[in-house]
Amino acid sequence: MKKEFQPVKTLNRRTFRKNRGRNIVAVLAILMTTIMFTTLFTLAQSMNRNMVEMMFRQSGYDAHVSFKSITEEEAESIRSHPDVQEVGESTVLGLAENTALSGMQTEIRWGSDSYASHSFAFPEEGRMPESADEIALDTRVLDRLGIPHKLGERVELSWRKDLNSDEMTTSTFTLCGYWTGNESSYAAMAWVSPDYAGEMTDGLAAPKDGQVLGTHMAQVTLNSDRDIESTMNRVLEDKGLENLEYGVNLAWLPETNTAAFEQSLPMYLGMILVFLAGYLIIYNIFQIGVTADVQFYGRLKTLGMTNRQIRKLIYGQANRLCLLGIPAGLILGWLLGVVLVPVLLGMMEGEHIVSANPVIFIGSALFTWLTVLISCLRPARMAGKVSPIEALRASDASTGGKKKRKRSQGSASVTSMAWANLGRNKKRTVTVICSLSLGLVLLCSFYAKNAAFDMDKYLEWLTIADFQLSDATHEDRTNGYDPQGTTLNDDLIEELSGAEGVTETGHQYSHQFLWQMDETTQDNFRQYYTEERLADWASYNEAQAASMEKNIQTGEISAVIFGLDGIPLDTITSETYIQSGEYDPEAFATGEYILAVGPATEPEYLTDPVLPAPSVGSTVTLEGKTYTVMAVVYPLSSVDGGASEIGTESSQELHFIIPSDTFREQWPDNTLRQFFLNAEDGAVPELQAMIDDYTESVDSSLPVTSRQTMAEQYEEETRSSAVMGNAISLIIALIGILNFINSMATAIVSRKREFAMIQSVGMTKRQLRQMLISEGLFYALITIIVSLVLSSIAISTVIRAMVEGGYSTYHFTLLPLAVCAPVLIVFAVIVPWFCFRNLERQSIVERLRME
Amino acid sequence: MDAILKATGLKKYYGKGEALVKALDGVDLEIERGKFTAIIGTSGSGKSTLLNMLGGLDTPSEGSIRIGDTELAKLSSEEATVFRRRQIGFIFQNYNLVPVLSVWENIIFPISLDGKKPDKKFIREIVRLLGLEKKLDSLPGQLSGGQQQRVAIARALASKPSIILADEPTGNLDSHTSGDVIGLLKMTGREFRQTIVMITHNPEIAEMADRIIRIEDGRIAEQ
Repeated sequence: MKKEFQPVKTLNRRTFRKNRGRNIVAVLAILMTTIMFTTLFTLAQSMNRNMVEMMFRQSGYDAHVSFKSITEEEAESIRSHPDVQEVGESTVLGLAENTALSGMQTEIRWGSDSYASHSFAFPEEGRMPESADEIALDTRVLDRLGIPHKLGERVELSWRKDLNSDEMTTSTFTLCGYWTGNESSYAAMAWVSPDYAGEMTDGLAAPKDGQVLGTHMAQVTLNSDRDIESTMNRVLEDKGLENLEYGVNLAWLPETNTAAFEQSLPMYLGMILVFLAGYLIIYNIFQIGVTADVQFYGRLKTLGMTNRQIRKLIYGQANRLCLLGIPAGLILGWLLGVVLVPVLLGMMEGEHIVSANPVIFIGSALFTWLTVLISCLRPARMAGKVSPIEALRASDASTGGKKKRKRSQGSASVTSMAWANLGRNKKRTVTVICSLSLGLVLLCSFYAKNAAFDMDKYLEWLTIADFQLSDATHEDRTNGYDPQGTTLNDDLIEELSGAEGVTETGHQYSHQFLWQMDETTQDNFRQYYTEERLADWASYNEAQAASMEKNIQTGEISAVIFGLDGIPLDTITSETYIQSGEYDPEAFATGEYILAVGPATEPEYLTDPVLPAPSVGSTVTLEGKTYTVMAVVYPLSSVDGGASEIGTESSQELHFIIPSDTFREQWPDNTLRQFFLNAEDGAVPELQAMIDDYTESVDSSLPVTSRQTMAEQYEEETRSSAVMGNAISLIIALIGILNFINSMATAIVSRKREFAMIQSVGMTKRQLRQMLISEGLFYALITIIVSLVLSSIAISTVIRAMVEGGYSTYHFTLLPLAVCAPVLIVFAVIVPWFCFRNLERQSIVERLRME
Repeated sequence: MDAILKATGLKKYYGKGEALVKALDGVDLEIERGKFTAIIGTSGSGKSTLLNMLGGLDTPSEGSIRIGDTELAKLSSEEATVFRRRQIGFIFQNYNLVPVLSVWENIIFPISLDGKKPDKKFIREIVRLLGLEKKLDSLPGQLSGGQQQRVAIARALASKPSIILADEPTGNLDSHTSGDVIGLLKMTGREFRQTIVMITHNPEIAEMADRIIRIEDGRIAEQ
């Protein structure tokens, strides 16, 4: 003999080749399972990475610790500590105040290379400035300034050395480097040379009070990112610098990682579903295989093959199938991940990184392999337990003598036979139905969840008009809103108001000041903000809660009065937004009345007898004028949102609304803060073009919110997550259908002889075909009923709870099921029909003779 | 008498009450070492049940079976399997060859399952006596019924078992081939000093045995 004969291995190899059809189905099932595992892993990993990356971008740097104020000597001292890897330094000169840059904080600084690169602001093209007339900027700033992305371009920046004076310093630089601007960071960097910085600071060691010029900052990267705070404290202690204040980069906090993990949690939950779907089909394939081969295993047993050897044989088959299915699945799954990552992360700005972490592949391969092994557990045990005697008699039916229902005078109609056939192998029937239903129920649930999203609700929160134009500083939370801003100049407003198709307009002005509450108001606040409520607030925002507590004690609060007319006034005074009181438009127009804005509590939780606002009917005196409180309304971002006014101390705010006419009488110097515009549907594109033209040619800093672009943007984003959920449930449904086809087909093939037998005693071909099709239809019907019941339960409980609140409106829908049901029925007819045609190729006698 | 196999009070009942079937109803049996014994009986007489039980494939409701020093009833199913592949050679009516294995592989299959190396010289001798030399690389599907049964005989002999149990070895063969196969079985049995127990319903075939046991309604009717 040539080689050592290894019976289990040889059998393994040879039987594998024999069962080609079954193996193809199994490999497909494993392939799909791997694809889903890999895709989900890729998505989860990429989400994680992108989340962390985004956190870095948002915090603006990726070093561990930052010092907002430090001297060069102190920085040097920290640098010499053995636990410190790198120290980057920077000196702030001021903020660029070119009009083109309004609303975009552009910091003129000198920075070391390390500081620049850790701030994601190291020139990609060119280099950092070296001589006094050089500057490096990001592309966002260049775009705002209208300067082409080209080295050597002339850049002019104006800024103030002294923030208390109006004296501008204007310098002209040559662009020596630029990099891609980062959308998510709040400030842009304008790097200047150390020479220029030195010239400007003129030996200033630290900034004067209330100034920024000469502020020296540092970013420290430690050797390890563990216990950043304690390591840093130790470093400072060792160097005797305990009193230096520093901030730990939020992105490095353990909470960030936890948050990132939570974000990808749905992916991990998805994996459980994948496992379930994979289990159902692979289990079924092996179960069918073992049942079909029961005689074969019995024979091996009589020849002395032990339990363990038979199990090894089955696992060997499983491993071979994995070897074929997993590698292809890994590649396809990862590619699918590459496609889906940008879709899924659409809502995050910046570039998307698709993780190719080996963990993904090892993990997915391992998960699939485990799924397959677990799926084989029972079939393998069953094969091992085959008694050699049983094996000689076993047929397709479940093993184990079950009591048979006796029908005294049952009619042997074709349909009742078909029904009885389903019951012959209950385990398989149940597996197939579970497998099919899983996909359908998921599909229905995902669909219902996505369908629950209420665009109108969402858009109303974002914008209440077709177009909403604001002053450039409207949202400028760093510097504050400038009430005398000139973005919304009269010409622009006139032009837009007069444009064709405009149906409605609206104006918003605002004024902010420190208000000493009257006693009733203070009392209302005191009653509303109970200790419990404040403690709850403090649990997620300690600073705000503490500030409110102070406001209540002193009775001093920052009041913002909005002067409104048109769209915003109509919206905020509509019934849904009234918290208490009643709105009377005529009386309100007299200017004697005022609306107060209450808390943002959902109506159903608003059970308090008092609101943290002046009581309805009481009078309030604001900067010398007395009003009667007509009603308390809900806050609405479009109406009373935005940044606080320049120069106001950070404090909690109490908002009031008065008619714009009254407002302008009292504060005539304040300019328009927001302009609202509604138009006929047909006129919207034209208006959009008009506004686009204006932002391109006249004022690039004009913030515009358009309902249409918002809707489109959001639709795109929800579409992506819908695509994701639907893709997964679709693959699971596909697995279910594959399972169904496989079970149907093998059930028919394995009953060849039985069919020949009943044909030989007189069943016609038509009847047999009818019987098989009826079996398929029964499968489909049961599946549809099960899916219907389970989906209804899932949607009306889980999904309903999930979409509660937010911008969703719960609808009960089973549309996907309605779409899938006919497909399923078609399969239920086609599969038996094809199998039967295949069967017919052999004559009855041939089939009868088969063993 | 040197008994290799001793069965006492063997009973096998199926079902309960009215539906009670007594497949074996108190069988005592001794098989002598080196002898060729035939068990005959009509279909349903319990002869197959008896043979399956002697080979440890089936367990009796009552009674004991000893083969050599081993009490079969005391073995777990796994131990019984191992015992079977070492001590018992089976020959079945349907040959029971593994279709994906070649003739040679089929012959050494039980030995290999035991993790042992086959005694090649010995097996070649068996193969030569059974006239299978030229068929060693064929698959069972390529052989005639008589050839397949000869492979099964070779397989039964290959592991030098204590006893060979043959269940209707000629049931699927025509009478001419049947005579050949039984002749070969008897000849190899004598050559290798094997104990053979064979079931048949054919009195002519049974006549070739050293001893005939008739079984009727689950009892031994005549020895």
